[in-house]
Amino acid sequence: MFDRRQFLQTLGGGFGVAGLQGTLQAATRQPHFAPKAKHVIFLFLNGGMSQVDTFDPKPMLVKHDGEPMPGPKIRTDRASGTLMRSPWDFRKHGQSGIEVSDIFPHVARRIDDFAVVRSMYTENGNHGPSLQVMNCGHQLPGRPSMGSWVTYGLGTDNQNLPGFIVLCPGFPVLGSSLWSAGYMPSSYQGVHIHTGAVEPEKLIENLRNADLSLDEQKVQLGLMDKLNQRYLARVGDQPNLQSAVESMESAFRMQTEAGQLIDIRKEPEKIRARYDVSDFGRGCLMALRLVESGVRMVQIYYGNFQPWDSHDDIRVHAKLAQKVDSPIAALVEDLKLRGLFDETLIIIGSEFGRTPMIQNSGLEKLGCGRDHNPPAFTVLLAGGGIKGGQTYGATDDFGYQVVENKVHVHDLHATALHLLGFDHTKLTYRHAGRDFRLTDVHGKVVTPLLA
Amino acid sequence: METLSKRSVALAVAAFALPLTADEGHEFFESKIRPLLATHCHACHTGGALGNLRLDSREGVLKGGKSGVVVVPGKPEESLLIEAVRRTHVRLKMPPVGALSKDEVAALEEWVKLGVPWPEKTAQVHVANRVITAQERAFWSYQPVTKPAPPTVDDAAWAKTNIDRFILAKLETAKLKPAAPADQRAWARRVALDLTGLPPTPAEVDAYVSDASPAAKQKMIDRLLESPHYGERWARHWLDLARYSDGQLAADVDTPFRNAWRYRDWVVEAFNKDLPYNLFVKAQIAADQFQDTAAHQAGLGFQALGAGANDQVDVTTKVFLGLTVGCAQCHDHKYDPIPTKDYYSLLGIFRSSQSAEHPLVPEAEVKRYNAQKAKIDALKEILKDYLADQTKQLVDLLARDTARYMVAVWKNKDEEPGLDTETLKKWKIYLAARGDKEHPYLKSWYELLDKQPTEEQVQAEAARYQQFVLELLEEAKEVEDKNYVAFGGKKGQKNENTRQYTNIVSLPVLKFYQWREIANGPYNIDGFRAPAGVLFYDAKAVRSHLGGLAKQYAERLDTEILALEKELPPMYPFVHAVKDAEKPADIPIAVRGDTKVPGEIAPRRFLQILREGEPEPYLKGSGRAQLAQEIADPRNPLTARVMVNRIWQHHFGRGLVRTPSNFGRMGERPTHPELLDYLAARFVESGWSVKAIHREILLSSAYAQSTSNPGAAEADADNKLLSRFDLQHRLDMETLRDSVLAVSGKLDSKLGGEAKPMSDENARRSLYLTVSRTRLDTTMSLFDFPDANSSVDARPTTAGPLQGLYWLNSKFVAQQARALDERLTKEAGAEAKARIDHAYRLLYARPPDSEELKIGIEYVTAGAKAWPTYLQALLGSGEFSSVN
Repeated sequence: MFDRRQFLQTLGGGFGVAGLQGTLQAATRQPHFAPKAKHVIFLFLNGGMSQVDTFDPKPMLVKHDGEPMPGPKIRTDRASGTLMRSPWDFRKHGQSGIEVSDIFPHVARRIDDFAVVRSMYTENGNHGPSLQVMNCGHQLPGRPSMGSWVTYGLGTDNQNLPGFIVLCPGFPVLGSSLWSAGYMPSSYQGVHIHTGAVEPEKLIENLRNADLSLDEQKVQLGLMDKLNQRYLARVGDQPNLQSAVESMESAFRMQTEAGQLIDIRKEPEKIRARYDVSDFGRGCLMALRLVESGVRMVQIYYGNFQPWDSHDDIRVHAKLAQKVDSPIAALVEDLKLRGLFDETLIIIGSEFGRTPMIQNSGLEKLGCGRDHNPPAFTVLLAGGGIKGGQTYGATDDFGYQVVENKVHVHDLHATALHLLGFDHTKLTYRHAGRDFRLTDVHGKVVTPLLA
Repeated sequence: METLSKRSVALAVAAFALPLTADEGHEFFESKIRPLLATHCHACHTGGALGNLRLDSREGVLKGGKSGVVVVPGKPEESLLIEAVRRTHVRLKMPPVGALSKDEVAALEEWVKLGVPWPEKTAQVHVANRVITAQERAFWSYQPVTKPAPPTVDDAAWAKTNIDRFILAKLETAKLKPAAPADQRAWARRVALDLTGLPPTPAEVDAYVSDASPAAKQKMIDRLLESPHYGERWARHWLDLARYSDGQLAADVDTPFRNAWRYRDWVVEAFNKDLPYNLFVKAQIAADQFQDTAAHQAGLGFQALGAGANDQVDVTTKVFLGLTVGCAQCHDHKYDPIPTKDYYSLLGIFRSSQSAEHPLVPEAEVKRYNAQKAKIDALKEILKDYLADQTKQLVDLLARDTARYMVAVWKNKDEEPGLDTETLKKWKIYLAARGDKEHPYLKSWYELLDKQPTEEQVQAEAARYQQFVLELLEEAKEVEDKNYVAFGGKKGQKNENTRQYTNIVSLPVLKFYQWREIANGPYNIDGFRAPAGVLFYDAKAVRSHLGGLAKQYAERLDTEILALEKELPPMYPFVHAVKDAEKPADIPIAVRGDTKVPGEIAPRRFLQILREGEPEPYLKGSGRAQLAQEIADPRNPLTARVMVNRIWQHHFGRGLVRTPSNFGRMGERPTHPELLDYLAARFVESGWSVKAIHREILLSSAYAQSTSNPGAAEADADNKLLSRFDLQHRLDMETLRDSVLAVSGKLDSKLGGEAKPMSDENARRSLYLTVSRTRLDTTMSLFDFPDANSSVDARPTTAGPLQGLYWLNSKFVAQQARALDERLTKEAGAEAKARIDHAYRLLYARPPDSEELKIGIEYVTAGAKAWPTYLQALLGSGEFSSVN
């Protein structure tokens, strides 16, 4: 428990961190084993990144461009046509020689840091259910999100900031149900921040008082504390009330600290330039600072609705990639420079992949895109506990479905929890008389991905 | 149990003395072991084979599982199974949900010692027709409700009501004393917040405190129960369960349920009028099926405001029965006697029903409205098509001057006789953006311009490009025509089924880009945006290019539409309801929840565990009527128990069963089973009157206890004996916000009506704030307003710095503090002592003590901003947010 006297001392004499440490001890749960990663940055390319145009090269697609896919006709979400090669070439990069599409030159430069999981799969071909699965491990809404599980498991290292922050310019499909705490207390829920802005007060609600100076507030807080102490003395030992009362004190500290922490304008221009290509990029820089400040998990959605959903024109992927490529590489580099790379798990992915076949659209549309592809998609992992410079799993000749080392979303979750120090079968939350898990009754840790 | 152990001993002796006959071994198995395995092991160790172990055949038992061999016949000491049930194994402690009794362990040991006798040799096929055992039927919550007599107690003076006798008896057994009664003012505040979600006014508190009559409490309770705010408060508890929302979860924003509020208001009214709970239940399942619920169609919002049939099964059973039937969708319920077949029996009922708008006006009015609306829509469609056509014609027309526009741009002209100035400007912008072009069609144009060309050269190049554009527009039209044909005409485009498997053609990619830049409207597909083409004028802009008859025609349509719209009344009111489908039908079980693998047909009928013997099939319509009747039947052991428990829960903070929507095996057992039954019986006796139960509870000494009982703090740390009133350390979001508004004097206490989003200006009760499933308001969720995507039986109460920031910095709190300041001026004048006194009475239902007065006076005399910030501190204090 946070020591009140200590706090009052800090009130008088500036804001040391002594008091904070007391709080974070209390908030942290015991992992099942030593964690490899302490933080998660989940970069969500919402809409569905095409695997065959990015990190899963398919020479056979080039060879058979324009031909029907062999085998029985596949009933995709919408009518699918013939096979379509990627408009971009792939090249080998790094020591590992992993092939990366030309639309990701910066990530390619850092490819040795990544484990490229080419064998992800999921079941549902619609965005909503698949987004739910990727985020909450279940197709139906109402379950806690991965970020909630992670903060439930590990608590937060910084009481002055939310433990789980979601950055998105706008809202992805299904909105807040993707970072819901479900049946867990809402303190485990993601705090959604609109990343159109960079000013801290626009990012965190009620961060500034419009009328009072900090000094005036300090006096007000002193009054509140006096009254609360009298009340607490009267009602006797009430730990819950005590912590509710103390949240006022941490709120006061948060005003000064959080503002500093999430303000990316504090970064030198040289650092910022690599991120300053998009809202997503600025989000990456913010994620860097947040993780540095002890936030447990930061999730960044690429954009409002589902920008990566290139049904009509796959070439749009180049424009999208351009807005994430440099920031992703910069994030990896800066995490390394700040000594955080090894303790931060980076996940880059989508709710599903895209078909190797062209999608028929028509009329005033182009008809040069790809449809949803749940049987195969690619996810990139890097950082804490991940063995970089490898590809894992494989899809068939055309990239339509996984043929080797299948990794279900549940397995991805199990692996992430493992890296954070938890046996996914034991990290449970009791609700309605049942122990629930992020992985439900599924999931296995993908050990070859581990360093 | 004693007989069992005697029998075991006897058998054990026999085993040593002379070998058992096969028959005797089998008899032992059938009488002792099979039921034990079925009850404690088969949930996991049959088809599901957790740990790769099956315990439904001798074969399976001997084969063992992931952890190796589990049974060595004849040698219990070497058998993992025995170690696991004894719970002496380091890792395996079975069953995971709780240890077997000593006798049961002994029986298993015996069984292993006997060499694992088992009548059948092979595994039983795991049939969907799971048999519910007598033991399962013996579980507490499935027993008929009885009305236990209140026990006798020593401290008869304390035990004012029957409820008290049940509670005190347990306390006395534990040698504990109840907590001292709460202070009168604390009680008054507690009961007011509890029943109405609003703090009592100082006058109300004074009236209660100064009323020395024995009926003082009764009077206050009655007055609160008569207040319409009572219904508002208690409806909200229900709405959490009903996963109430003003819209349906959807990709972007909620698909609105336009009249969801009518269901919400119906619930409010049901509580206010004390609609008998059995009717309340029936109305929410099948209001359309009974005469006595015909006026309660709005109650069907419970079904309609959800997410389909599976959700309806889940929510209906959880909320009314406290059973988690939803768990049986893919397999037999792991813990409760709910075969997967039962799930599909219920699902069939809801699948045989469908959403329906139930109009609240005569049909003629509905028809009139719809006819008028259809006329307007038809005219709008005509206008839209006409203007779209004009847009296309304008593209063609302007395209024929492409070369002239290009040359004018080259000459840097802003105007040119014969050319449209606006279009010229657009050409200028378009051609200037050389870097944007992803196609090669303007390459030669730009290269030419780099070479200081003559006007002739420029004109020639422009002419070439114009020719290309005209051909491109022609080609695009051909593509479109082909698609129209493929779709079977223009309207075919809207037929998604045709569209699915129709091969559509389109321009080659690069040509498409060029066409988009010239002729297409604004492109916003899959989140990628491209601006409208140079020659494209949308329905609004194209009007300025219309002349003569064309212009007149468009304007005439405008006028007609406007006139019709003026005559269109506001849409008729309706409620979101359900009705029976035309062809109600039983559905097959989806094996492992997979609808592609249909199993046997599950007849529509009630849950087997709640009926003796085979439940009879529902043959009337969807079956909702029978379902509603069986749930609302006084003989149903769960319905009344579950509801009185929920009432108890909201008075005391926790239920007598602390898992209010789970009365199954994984739920908690009641802390006071006899009291629960007593209340359930009283509930039914009273004609299912919720208010009767409120009265009974609120008049008890148990409810009037203070929040501290040092004598019992250790022995009853979790307050399972109810040795005190649990301090509620933070009011729920609605009560908190409503209380702020109430004490500042700003609360708009109008009842009912459409929902409006949360805002600083919205001063209505929080019940009337818009509830979204996709965009839950951040302040609402900050204070634990639940996710409306599923039924919530108890809200967690969290604290955290973000809540602190709300009290310290939000505009709303500052604004309310200022309003409170003004109110004090009006009601208490200028003198600090009187103002502080009044503030305390408003906020905390008590006067300040002398120290608090002193602290207050010191603070408010210190600075100019002192009053509002002082009052803000009072609002942000723990006392305001909690219930003592």
